[in-house]
Amino acid sequence: MHLRKYLLKGLHRLQKGPGYTYKELLVWYCNNTNTHGPKRIICEGPKKKAMWFLITLLFASLVCWQWSEFIKTYLNWEVTVSLSLGFKTMDFPAVTICNASPFQYSKTKHLLMDLDELMKAVLERILAPEASYANTTSALNFTLWNNTPLVLIYEQDSSHPVVLDLFENIPSASVGSNAAQGRTCSAPGCKLAMKLCSLNGTVCTFRNFTSATQAVTEWYALQATNIFSQVSRQELVEMGYSAEHMILACLFGTEPCSYRNFTSIFYPNYGNCYIFNWGMTEKALPSANPGAEFGLKLILDIDQEDYVPFLTSTAGARLMLHEQRTYPFIKEEGIDAMSGTETSIGVLVDKLQRMGEPYSPCTMNGSDVAIRNLYSSYNTTYSSQACLHSCFQDHMIHNCSCGHFLYPLPPGARYCNNQDFPDWAYCYFNLWMSVTQRETCINMCKESCNDTQYTMTISMADWPSEASEDWIFHVLSQERDHSTNITLSRKGVVKLNIYFQEFNYRTIEESAANNIVWLLSNLGGQFGFWMGGSVLCLIEFGEIIIDFMWITIIKLVAFFKGLRQKQAQAAYTGPPPTVAELVEAHTNFGFQPDTTNPSPHVEAYPDEQTLPIPGTPPPNYDSLRLQPLDTIESESEGDAI
Amino acid sequence: MAPGEKIKAKIKKNLPVRGPQAPTIKDLMHWYCMNTNTHGCRRIVVSRGRLRRLLWILFTLTAVALIIWQCALLIASFYTVSVSVKVHFQKLDFPAVTLCNINPYKYSVVRDLLADLDRETRKALKTLFGFSEVTSRKRRDTESENPAQKGIQPKFLNTIPLLAFNENEKGKARDFFTGKKRKVSGNIIHKSSDVMQVHKSKETVGFQLCPSNDTTNCATYTFSSGVNAIQEWYKLHYMNIMAQVPLEKKINMSYSAEELVVTCFFDGMSCDARNFTLFHHPMYGNCYTFNNRENETTLSTSMGGSEYGLQVILFIDEEEYNPFLVSSTGAKVLIHQQNEYPFIEDVGTEIETAMSTSIGMHLTESFKLSEPYSQCTEDGHDVPVENIYNASYSLQICLYSCFQTKMVEKCGCAQYSQPLPPNANYCNYQQNPDWMYCYYKLYQAFVNEELGCQTVCRETCRFKEWTQTSSLAQWPSEVSENWLLRVLTWDQRQQTNKQLNKTDLAKLLIFYKDLNQRSIVESPANSIEVLLSNFGGQLGLWMSCSVVCVIEIIEVFFIDFFSIIARRQWQKAKEWWARKKAHPGPEAPPSQQGQDNPTLYIDEDLPTFTSALHLPPALGAQVPGTPPPKYNTLHLERAFSNQLPDTQLTNEF
Repeated sequence: MHLRKYLLKGLHRLQKGPGYTYKELLVWYCNNTNTHGPKRIICEGPKKKAMWFLITLLFASLVCWQWSEFIKTYLNWEVTVSLSLGFKTMDFPAVTICNASPFQYSKTKHLLMDLDELMKAVLERILAPEASYANTTSALNFTLWNNTPLVLIYEQDSSHPVVLDLFENIPSASVGSNAAQGRTCSAPGCKLAMKLCSLNGTVCTFRNFTSATQAVTEWYALQATNIFSQVSRQELVEMGYSAEHMILACLFGTEPCSYRNFTSIFYPNYGNCYIFNWGMTEKALPSANPGAEFGLKLILDIDQEDYVPFLTSTAGARLMLHEQRTYPFIKEEGIDAMSGTETSIGVLVDKLQRMGEPYSPCTMNGSDVAIRNLYSSYNTTYSSQACLHSCFQDHMIHNCSCGHFLYPLPPGARYCNNQDFPDWAYCYFNLWMSVTQRETCINMCKESCNDTQYTMTISMADWPSEASEDWIFHVLSQERDHSTNITLSRKGVVKLNIYFQEFNYRTIEESAANNIVWLLSNLGGQFGFWMGGSVLCLIEFGEIIIDFMWITIIKLVAFFKGLRQKQAQAAYTGPPPTVAELVEAHTNFGFQPDTTNPSPHVEAYPDEQTLPIPGTPPPNYDSLRLQPLDTIESESEGDAI
Repeated sequence: MAPGEKIKAKIKKNLPVRGPQAPTIKDLMHWYCMNTNTHGCRRIVVSRGRLRRLLWILFTLTAVALIIWQCALLIASFYTVSVSVKVHFQKLDFPAVTLCNINPYKYSVVRDLLADLDRETRKALKTLFGFSEVTSRKRRDTESENPAQKGIQPKFLNTIPLLAFNENEKGKARDFFTGKKRKVSGNIIHKSSDVMQVHKSKETVGFQLCPSNDTTNCATYTFSSGVNAIQEWYKLHYMNIMAQVPLEKKINMSYSAEELVVTCFFDGMSCDARNFTLFHHPMYGNCYTFNNRENETTLSTSMGGSEYGLQVILFIDEEEYNPFLVSSTGAKVLIHQQNEYPFIEDVGTEIETAMSTSIGMHLTESFKLSEPYSQCTEDGHDVPVENIYNASYSLQICLYSCFQTKMVEKCGCAQYSQPLPPNANYCNYQQNPDWMYCYYKLYQAFVNEELGCQTVCRETCRFKEWTQTSSLAQWPSEVSENWLLRVLTWDQRQQTNKQLNKTDLAKLLIFYKDLNQRSIVESPANSIEVLLSNFGGQLGLWMSCSVVCVIEIIEVFFIDFFSIIARRQWQKAKEWWARKKAHPGPEAPPSQQGQDNPTLYIDEDLPTFTSALHLPPALGAQVPGTPPPKYNTLHLERAFSNQLPDTQLTNEF
């Protein structure tokens, strides 16, 4: 009883007007809301009312649908890109230069002697088998050979391939060995293959090659890796080309520079590499002008005569432009420069800057990638190449229990070699060719959000010219070796010009396509377009919902009260208590303040009453609620047109 | 009566005349302005004072104009695109790589066919430039082979004679073979010296093309250099000869895959001639395409770097080169999509012998939006040019197809270097004696965009582009040359018996630098939702209007308006009928012509202050039976009602 009264009072205080039934509330809402449709529902004839009702419903659902579309679009985190192109003073890229041959042959001869002898014998066996049988091969060191021998496969009958060891006197462990075929193999179907065995030669696979050139090159590279992996890093660095020997002249803009300005780094494929302007210890050098005069000019000596003959077949310098503080993956991304020529490289910095999650799937610094970056020991930033290589080395250590020579080692691991890990070659090639391994790595690594490419325009000319050759070589030899003899040749010198082009940057930058302002203005636009509504309309609606709930609560309370009373009535037979009347009375009593305190609406009413319109009774709408029903009925009927 | 009904009744009572029941159009307008949801209209009605009302009318009209203008701009800019650049890090499909030797056919094999032509070329060289010893070191024997043919009348020089033009004697040329001077008529076209008048020498060389039976209408082509002239002249005859050779024979005359590719290595695996698909190019002979999806699988790369790309060593047999047709040595390489036709002569990269050429690639993929955003085509089905190539559509294919079709149309035969359209033959002198004249004329028209091919053909909407960075290194190196050449010779032992020289070989590396693929994607900048919400924003900003208001306008100005007019006409007709009955006169059917009476539109104007004042107050009285309404009691008017007892509001009613 008291509860209901209290609730009614609460409702009354809450809204002052709309009404105490659902219908009243709805009509009040439609009449007073600021959205355009509902008002028309209540003040038209029945046909139009239905039409307007449908239209309003339709528009409301349209708005809801469009809103959901917009919110969906917003949650897609789309981006727009802006492109800028021009010239500005920029940090000159870091330039890494390497020699195509990793080591000086004169310094590695003692290590490679056995292998080279073996290689020569192999070549002789392949090229002129008959002649080589005369020579005894006893002088060779067969420990290298036995680990991974080269075999000839004769595939005339494809179901029974004949496998021949190149050195007949060595007992071959292969299964299909059939000595009846003879010792030579010059028939068309004869192919070289590398035999890879594991578990003491019980499980073997053949790595087939279609050409002998590839086979011997790969075989030599594998053996050389085995040898070099047993040598300490310090010794390897000493065997490579020194900066003093390699970098003859250096000029950056108008500032002279020398080999001392280069940071040395050991790169297993190319030996000693030297990085200019890496920005690790000092600030990166900027370049403020386009053109060859303001770039980096280098003269290098690659000393082709001292190349390891079987390890590399190309001759030249290898160079790469990269960002400061990034590791140069020169084998993958480097370019070659030829000896005896001047190579001019115009640079355009092509930068792509992305927003990162949730806009684009990329990583800012690699911290959210599950693979440990092995190149972090160089203090370099994350790159997807570094991730892929680290991933491979991880797999290698996991599967073969030793690390590959070409990639850095995680703490506690060792490089593979034949003595300690006899199965490593077998294991390595299996892993290397495995598609699943590669796909796992690709899926685990993410690209970096800032991607910088250096677009190069390369042109070449002969250098030095025939007329200037003499004096140039003389001066350079004098400077390097302090000798009056010419110690350089056209086969060894490389000249490089690296400079910014007239437009030196092209930056593609991402920005969010749909921000919260965009979302709100579009939501507002839709609501306004269909229904002329705004946020305030939504608040109005919310208010009505609250009222609605209040009314529901009141009704429920009444219902339960009524139920309880019925039960009580059933229990105690007697005169029915006039609860309903009481409630009514109380309700009316609760309304008393309303009538006595007219709302602002009502205050203006007396004005009308002063208007001298004859014949019309003075309206008293303010007291509408309390009037008997029949009065209104008659009035409305009288007004009907 | 329920409480809801009470409020409704109250509102109803407060309401003025409802739209359709308004007695006059003026009432309707008033009702509309008072009750519409758009802002502005109401201010016109409730404003007092001429100036203020005028201002409000002006403001409202300006707002309407602004809305219309802004919405028109929005619609006009609807079909714009926004571009986004995306980067994917993934396994990349390796492109198809087409390799060709620059020399199309082995000279030793093709020499028999070209013997006459070569002899005449040498003769021309000798006569024109006084150069007799043309044989290269290896070819001396062939020269002395057939001295018996010396006396035969030269047929090639007769069909298209090489002419030497003298600068001093305009319009005269010396046929260098017969030595006679002939009169040259027609237009002289400098083939290569159009732009730059570099030749200071007195004599220029060229040739003349005439229609077979009309020597007055000849086109003469002169060249600034004899080298160009001889090569062009040779090429014309060469094409003519080759057009008559069947395809199988031509394929046999050219290089086989085993010969061209010495070693092949892809993604750490050996490959060989079987991985290459033959593609016969009319000007380059046998070309071979790697990764041409021949067995429905496209090779892909899952690592960047030269080790994981394609590494080939090509055998360029310099001895078999045709001395007049090609003057450079090497191979041509083209990186393209699997289903794309390799236009090797147009976009190929040349690679040098005794060098290692590394081509590092970056993949960029572009997607454009087709109609109505731009003029591109998805697959060429909507381009009115028949694709005569056995490849997917591209702009170049369209242009060449268009030219070839026109050629067949105009000249009756097809040009040799492009595929044959159905029911056509290649041009040759036996069947089409003046095809060459026709071809040159047509080609000129094509270049000058007179054939309309350039307007008909459209670019494709999506294309892949491989940005290439190529660099050279010496190969083989000094110290490895010795053993490498020996092993390569052993590899090539089935194809050739000779010891390979390093100038016969070229190494090529094609690889992805990294696995980042850039996609440039166009997407619509506007969608219907955005357009509508922009409309909503404009409507709301200027007039607080919505679609509901538009419906209101339609309702009021089209339905109610005409119903009022109809009603009035009906009443008039009824009155007239009643009067006619009283005084019989000429009959006229009661019509509703008022509905489309244009003069009545005057009333559609919003009631201005002046017009309202001049309205007779008796207007309302015309409709009998309406009780005096009490509009002034409307809540919204209340604020003003006590201040304006003498405005039209009270005047009217």
